[in-house]
Amino acid sequence: MIVRDRFGLGWRPKLALGILSNLDRIDVVEVIADDYFRAPHRERRALRTLSAQTPVTLHGVTLGLASSVPVEVKRLDQIARLCADVGPVSWSEHLAFVRGGGIEIGHLAAPPRCAATIDGAIANLRRARAIAGIAPQVENVATLIDPPGSDRDEATWVSEIIRNSDSHLLLDLHNLHANALNFNFDPLDFISRMPAERISAVHLAGGKWIGRHEAPRLLDDHLHDVPDPVYDLLEEVAARTPQALTVIIERDGKFPPIESLLDQLDRARAAVARGRQRARVLAA
Amino acid sequence: MNESRLESFLAKIYVDENARAKFLADPRGEAVKAGLTPQQIEDVVKIDRDGLELLAESLKRKKQGGR
Repeated sequence: MIVRDRFGLGWRPKLALGILSNLDRIDVVEVIADDYFRAPHRERRALRTLSAQTPVTLHGVTLGLASSVPVEVKRLDQIARLCADVGPVSWSEHLAFVRGGGIEIGHLAAPPRCAATIDGAIANLRRARAIAGIAPQVENVATLIDPPGSDRDEATWVSEIIRNSDSHLLLDLHNLHANALNFNFDPLDFISRMPAERISAVHLAGGKWIGRHEAPRLLDDHLHDVPDPVYDLLEEVAARTPQALTVIIERDGKFPPIESLLDQLDRARAAVARGRQRARVLAA
Repeated sequence: MNESRLESFLAKIYVDENARAKFLADPRGEAVKAGLTPQQIEDVVKIDRDGLELLAESLKRKKQGGR
């Protein structure tokens, strides 16, 4: 069986020229959905044009699906309209909460890992599927704090949501790498506890160390190259997943030359190939 | 309802510098005032203070610099 994995980059205005000039080496582009909810008509049209040229996946950042609070219908309507307009190959969101009590956190926060947020996330994913027509892939988030109010570990919490919803997992391997280092768990054990057949996409990124010298933490800042251990995790995921994967490198700033990002995509391709080869050897 | 109260409490101490300072000075008192359950109060009293400060700083930088 031939597995058609896709490898691509997050769409950012400063990368646009580099991406458009190298579509022969980029299989898919991930676009931040929220940037287009209120975009002028011409920007929407440009996104439709991009989608006609290359597969596009939409990535949401403000729904706050992993919450005990129901996601607002007006927010789901926005992503539904964008999906209908652009025709992405998939869309995704985060297992995060982003607001509470009328306060916007301004970024993705890890919610308490407990039954209430599992039930809330499952209900929100059901709403998202009903309104958008297709279920979002959902992404594990990086966190600098072990979320208070948690009564289970991250792997248990994520896998319970995936197993009890229609959503597939967008496994962010730098988020996993950072959380594993910051909270002292084995990322390979985390991967082994995910339902492998439900992993359909992967994010790769980089970060930097912050905090006190004696207790530093790895910040997932999307401003640095993908570190070596993350490619090793990608190989492991590929060895466990026979289905096609969409692998996206996210870079939000301190942009290197496009050739550097394309080289990192090639390293991702090589890691996936090694993983697939390992699986073939084991199966033979 | 109780879980959403905890999420609201966390959102507040993550982004509101004054609320965070009050909480760090008297975690139990602030958690009680917020109407958290006894278990939630115990959970936030044991909060990872290093993580809270780093998260708050990171959120502040993101707000200043955009996404």
